[in-house]
Amino acid sequence: MEPRSRSFYVLAGVFGLFVLFLYGPILTIGVLSFQGPGGGLTFPMNGVSLHWFFDLFEQQAVGDIWGSFRRSFALGLMVMVVTVVVSVMGGLAFRRRFRGSTALFYLIVASLIIPSILISLGVGLIFNILDFDVHWSTSGFGAQLTWTLPFGLLIMFAVFNRFDKSYEEAARDLGASSWQTIRHVVLPIIAPSLIGVALFGFTLSYDEFARTLLTAGSHNTLPLEIVGMTTNVTSPVLYALGTLTTVFSFLMIGSFLLLVIFLKRRRAGAGSDAGKGMV
Amino acid sequence: MTTGTGKTRINRRSLLKGAAATAGLAVGAGAVTGFPTVWAQNIKNVTLRQFGTGVSNLNEVAAKVKEDLGFTLEMTALDSDSVTQRAATQPKSFDIADIEYWICKKVWGAGNLQAMDTSKIKNYDKIVGTFRSGKLTPDSVIAQGTAPHTVGFVEGPEGKTFVDNESGWMTLIPTIYNADTLGIRPDLIGRLIESWTELLNPEFKGKASILDISSIGIMDAAMVCEAMGEVQYGDKGNMTKEEIDKTMAIFTEAKKNGQFRAFWKSFDESVNLMSSGEVVIQSMWSPAITAVRSKGIPCVYQPLKEGYRSWGGGLGLSANLSGIELDAAYEYINWYLSGWVGGFLMRQGYYSAVPETSKNFMTEDEWGYWFEGKTAQKDIVNPQGKVMEKAGAVRDGGSFYDRMGAVACWNAVMDENKYMVRKWNEFIAA
Amino acid sequence: MAPGAASKETAVSKAPSPEKASWFLVSPLVLVLGVFLVLPILTIVTVSFWDYNEYNFFPAFILENYSYLLTSQVTLATYLKTFKFMALTWVFCAVIGFTVAYFLAFHVRSLPMQVVLFLICTVPFWTSNIIRMISWIPFLGRNGIANSTLISAGVIDEPLEWLLFSDFAVVLAFVHLYCLFMVVPIFNTMMRIDRSLIEAARDAGASGFQILTNVIIPLTKPGIMIGSIFVVTLVMGDFITVRFMSGGQSASVGRVISNEIALLQYPAAAASAVVLLITVLIMIGIMMRFVDIRKEL
Repeated sequence: MEPRSRSFYVLAGVFGLFVLFLYGPILTIGVLSFQGPGGGLTFPMNGVSLHWFFDLFEQQAVGDIWGSFRRSFALGLMVMVVTVVVSVMGGLAFRRRFRGSTALFYLIVASLIIPSILISLGVGLIFNILDFDVHWSTSGFGAQLTWTLPFGLLIMFAVFNRFDKSYEEAARDLGASSWQTIRHVVLPIIAPSLIGVALFGFTLSYDEFARTLLTAGSHNTLPLEIVGMTTNVTSPVLYALGTLTTVFSFLMIGSFLLLVIFLKRRRAGAGSDAGKGMV
Repeated sequence: MTTGTGKTRINRRSLLKGAAATAGLAVGAGAVTGFPTVWAQNIKNVTLRQFGTGVSNLNEVAAKVKEDLGFTLEMTALDSDSVTQRAATQPKSFDIADIEYWICKKVWGAGNLQAMDTSKIKNYDKIVGTFRSGKLTPDSVIAQGTAPHTVGFVEGPEGKTFVDNESGWMTLIPTIYNADTLGIRPDLIGRLIESWTELLNPEFKGKASILDISSIGIMDAAMVCEAMGEVQYGDKGNMTKEEIDKTMAIFTEAKKNGQFRAFWKSFDESVNLMSSGEVVIQSMWSPAITAVRSKGIPCVYQPLKEGYRSWGGGLGLSANLSGIELDAAYEYINWYLSGWVGGFLMRQGYYSAVPETSKNFMTEDEWGYWFEGKTAQKDIVNPQGKVMEKAGAVRDGGSFYDRMGAVACWNAVMDENKYMVRKWNEFIAA
Repeated sequence: MAPGAASKETAVSKAPSPEKASWFLVSPLVLVLGVFLVLPILTIVTVSFWDYNEYNFFPAFILENYSYLLTSQVTLATYLKTFKFMALTWVFCAVIGFTVAYFLAFHVRSLPMQVVLFLICTVPFWTSNIIRMISWIPFLGRNGIANSTLISAGVIDEPLEWLLFSDFAVVLAFVHLYCLFMVVPIFNTMMRIDRSLIEAARDAGASGFQILTNVIIPLTKPGIMIGSIFVVTLVMGDFITVRFMSGGQSASVGRVISNEIALLQYPAAAASAVVLLITVLIMIGIMMRFVDIRKEL
């Protein structure tokens, strides 16, 4: 490896600041989640305690944190899976022009740029008119997909536009069927990008407020529940939730890292060149 | 509806006649026992979905319902805008709506709620006059705005228009209400505040706040403008376009001069603004004051000479309710008025619609402090056992009759509401 | 498709009935977008001509919703304000996003490391935005961390009022929320730049700065454009960030719509929405003129 240039350290510093900026609120949340039992959501600190972490697992005066968390998490996973699958399918289809492809492309762009609140309003109205029940897993799910799908698709378009077709051709020359080619050649190569799509899908869904506002029905997702909770006195319990989420996420990343290292070792043994087919 | 009892509805009516009477008695006694077994079994499978703001959609109430009545009450807390939306546009997402009277005025016409038969309401006669005749005491003057009794009754079970007498069909069963005024930080202000005009006093430039819910905010604004002598209103609760323009012009100018630090929309924001010291004077709700004070930060719910702006909330039944769920809902409402909830909410600073039943669920000291405006003999704790006020404290504004008797106006929906809302939005955008 | 038939083909594009295969592949997409995008938009456009009262809206054909909207001074002021937020957010996001993406793409050498760094950037987003928004108050407030740090460091004597509940706070929160939307597409395009081009430029004697401006930036343009589309769209439609961070004192187009929805003035909201939609479409249309996204993705 060549030695790091000076610009590396400058840019690494900038990146560090950027991360610090992203974590600014998280740090405040981290500190304030250790508020004493009498403390509130703002400074000054009123003693230091673990009170709110324990309180998080008690029933709150208002709202149902864990119920809504479960719903948001489930919804996030649903959105994630569907986004990945539909995006890959769309990406494959869009590798060549077909009748209506341009129109569909602009529809995808439109889906991206339509303000969230409109989707919420429109979907809510339609469900009402058709006399369906709005529910987070139906109307809420669909409304969120109009948001995550364009993201996934744009990433997939980008990926496939830079996809080296010679790998596929080689597979075909060796007698692989279309499906086999996709399954054993295309998917492994695009796998790293799929992680990105999945991550985007989950994150966008988990934190979505506007699109679920009018489409969640009688059971709230977590962001809606938190807003609902602010109609009464909320406590640093919300911060405790934030801190736990962050800690939990780091644990997840840690295990992901271990998994990658493990896979890498196994791959090194198998001599695979998966993930290297991009030009 | 998730009841699982859809097939057991045969003969329910005849069965229920006896059951309801028994239930009424039992509820009145504060304990629910003695239901016929079948009924008690059926009702246990009922789930009622209630939504409202976090003010009264408390999990402890749901837990107590399960304990006392046996059925499940699902609570969804939303902000006031979402509450209005849901009541008006998502009739299938709820069974019981916990809404404010001004919201009722807006959404009743949508037909998503059904009127309630007051003859089935055990404690109907004990509901305070404000919600029935409009008069707190026989010689009270009815305040301006959307007073609860003006939208409290309709002509019949299918009634669409409000009537001005106790028709026997109620739109909402009143639950809690209060008299609102300005909250202040006495430690940061350091002098006597006694008029609504202080909200726009340049002394508090950059340290004032008002709430951004148009139907409520406009009334606070009107109280200020009237107190300043800048605008004379025919009826603050039903302003003319010209009055709205004048009011909003005064507030827009104040906003442009940097009078306001922020506008708040949810309860919690008002607490945070006050306790962080961002704001020293603002429109506020009583329990928010208590929340600030319980953090050891001085905060006063300042009675003002012009009087209070009042609000009231109640429970409405979804038009979709029928059969055993409807009976369960009546059951729940009777239970609601039977005292436990009233006591629970009064200990947080609200007033119960049936104070006399609530009294049974409060200590004498608590009743004295919260209702009668007496000096607290011992520490006043909230329902969770946290100390809210030290012994020797007196409630700001005094007794129930002092406070509710000095109401100058109610949160309102006006004839010119559409116009008012536009002007309000322009004010926020200015 | 029979395996035998496929093996004779040299590429997917020549597979039998490619049209049908494509349509099959996009059918779920079409379904979702049809039901949850096209239908809602049609509904909204229709409703924008309807009339309404306190609690209900009903079929009619009135232009009042539009005539009020297009003649009100507030509309113009609101749009100007929103454009201002958008422009500022875009500038900061583009500069920060480009720098960060450049670091990740050209200086971080292994893919797992890049993924990990991305994950680290994503973690804050798993704490609900609403909670993070609330936490800006103790950070930026009059007695918050920022002010007390600055005061104790002797930089300022009086707390800075404009840190919170101001345009500054709004833009800060926007950049905080949306910067990653700029980083990801730029990073993506940068990863596709053929490293030999940079080598060639270096061999031809180009300075680091020249490489940046003459090679990397032009080749990254599609990524920047996609990121810009994200940022522009997100800012134009936002309502909750503006409300929280301006302390409810600033208006944005999204807030106007959400207010109207909150007040059950659906037809008015729909009309505002249609105007916003057209505005955004025009803006994106202009941006797409500079870069053919489809070609350069």
